[in-house]
Amino acid sequence: MDFFANLLTGLSVAIEPTNLIYCFIGVFVGTLVGVLPGIGPVGAMAILLPLTFGLPPTTSIIMLAGIYYGAMYGGSTTSILVNIPGEAASVVTCLDGYQMARQGRAGPALGISAFGSFIAGTLGIIGLQAIAPPLVSVALRFGPPEYCSLVILGLVVLSYLAQKSMPKALMMAALGVLLGTIGLDTMTGRPRFAFGIPELLDGVGLVPLAMGLFGISEVFINVEQAVRREIYDTKLKNLLPTFKDWMDSKWAILRGTVIGFFIGALPGPGTSVASFVSYAVEKRVSKNPEKFGTGVIEGVAGPESANNAATAGAMVPLLTMGIPGSVAVAILLGALMIHGITPGPMLVKQHPGLFWGVIASMYLGNIMLLVINLPLIGMWVRLLRIPYAIFFPLILMVCLIGAYAFNRSTVDVGLMLFFGVLGYLMRKFEYEPAPLVLAFVLTPILDDALRQSLILSGGSFTIFVLRPISSGCLIIAVLLLITSAFPYFRKKGAKGAAELNG
Amino acid sequence: MKADRISSLFWLAVGLTAIYGAIQLGLGRLRQPGSGFLSFLAGSFICLMALIVFFQSFLNGKGFQAKISALWEGVNWRRPLVIALLLVAYILALERVGFLLTTFIILGVMFKGVENLSWWKTILLSASGSVASYLLFDTLLKASLPKGIFGF
Repeated sequence: MDFFANLLTGLSVAIEPTNLIYCFIGVFVGTLVGVLPGIGPVGAMAILLPLTFGLPPTTSIIMLAGIYYGAMYGGSTTSILVNIPGEAASVVTCLDGYQMARQGRAGPALGISAFGSFIAGTLGIIGLQAIAPPLVSVALRFGPPEYCSLVILGLVVLSYLAQKSMPKALMMAALGVLLGTIGLDTMTGRPRFAFGIPELLDGVGLVPLAMGLFGISEVFINVEQAVRREIYDTKLKNLLPTFKDWMDSKWAILRGTVIGFFIGALPGPGTSVASFVSYAVEKRVSKNPEKFGTGVIEGVAGPESANNAATAGAMVPLLTMGIPGSVAVAILLGALMIHGITPGPMLVKQHPGLFWGVIASMYLGNIMLLVINLPLIGMWVRLLRIPYAIFFPLILMVCLIGAYAFNRSTVDVGLMLFFGVLGYLMRKFEYEPAPLVLAFVLTPILDDALRQSLILSGGSFTIFVLRPISSGCLIIAVLLLITSAFPYFRKKGAKGAAELNG
Repeated sequence: MKADRISSLFWLAVGLTAIYGAIQLGLGRLRQPGSGFLSFLAGSFICLMALIVFFQSFLNGKGFQAKISALWEGVNWRRPLVIALLLVAYILALERVGFLLTTFIILGVMFKGVENLSWWKTILLSASGSVASYLLFDTLLKASLPKGIFGF
């Protein structure tokens, strides 16, 4: 009965008019940035973060979460019609989605992604609602060593999944930790690496960091090449998938949901890995794997369901343990902390309205998204025809205002530009920004947990190995590091990736 | 020069600087870690990874051979550079000249100078972009944007 009581608690919060309006703004902006290549959910969440300061915490999280899962809906539209992923989690949707569009089946492709997303999103939230309370009781037994090891595991997993080079990704995670230590040391009150700049005493802001690395640097990368978008000119009809389409994709949607939810809940992987894995699984279980890539509907339904279920799954570690598994969720964590709320196992006790309200708003948000994405699909397609030349100055301007409004200081704007240039060079030299941002956000937790553990143990590192959960996390982390170091596994991984692309 | 070799040397320098800074802050003892403890670990880890990337750049693997010049091949690198400089100018001018005027000018330069849109499009887009954002952020969301010497 708790399930429904909690749902009712949540719904009573989520249907407050302000929360409904901001939920709508969130999913609308999410669809917008999902549709538009060149800016993803992380950039959009970072840009809108300063604007949520005046709002109650529940309302801001409802809106920011809406951007996150809304972007998964929007991303598929661009993948299917333009063959450019609107955001990273829709990369695989290009493979079969665009082929379907070329065969005049853009309608069913868009339809099945929207319905698949809705089903997976909703089932994912049910999963989140069911799994969160028992996990909270487990997390309540976590002490500093467990948190420390969990953070390390999350960073290693994210680096392990790095597309280019694991040492580079680990290096970026360490850089994120280093940047995270800037500012006053909470334990001793000493300033660390502030270089005499008063604004740095509070630390580097998440807003300038994330906006620079994900907003500004994206613009730099995009303006240096003339992006030509060829929208597949087709009449959008029959958005409702046929009975056969449903029969073909029902298992893909359900498998995608399960895969997406659990991958999303792991620390590290996130939505794009979920969609890749779902595609690989669909290809493997299919009777006609050779047809994948030529426009089969399972190749669209599976990954699009998986990335939505993953957004619900990703909320599990955030809401229960206060540990974000991906960069987008890290921004949500940042938003909670800015509002003075410490996420973690106590969240559900101390702020039940927020906890259940956000979850319930996700049900409503998914319904809104279905309406925004199906009947209004024509509007998004028209938006895609606006050239990038008009978009990027506006994106830059919103970033500038967002960074300034944060502290009303040009130091933050300068920092954002610095991270923008750094992010641009990092992309050029193939260093990924995701581990950096995640590590940055997790550093306060890591710093406190590490030092408290050592104080608890009287200076002995054995405390991390003697406690079962902590040692479990560390063993997995070490195994991942070892397997990545041996060429055999690397080759196998590369083969798997080639299979995915082929 | 190979891209990975140069970049790894850069990060090695960053890591060493971090280690130096962390030691200055004080590492403390293991039973009572000091302010620089975590920064020291992070700096050392950056150095270790930078060394791995550096030595990998001598391997003959396909991924390790990209030259720096290849990274900017076939792209228009002047455009990000110009935009970055424009943003620096924006930061310097914002509080002196005020939000509306600075934004109007910067948008105009980007639309006309970088993207070469027609004059009427440039003026229309820059004016509507700056006024709309002022109304949204300052008037509606109370972000209080700088007014500058002209009072607007």
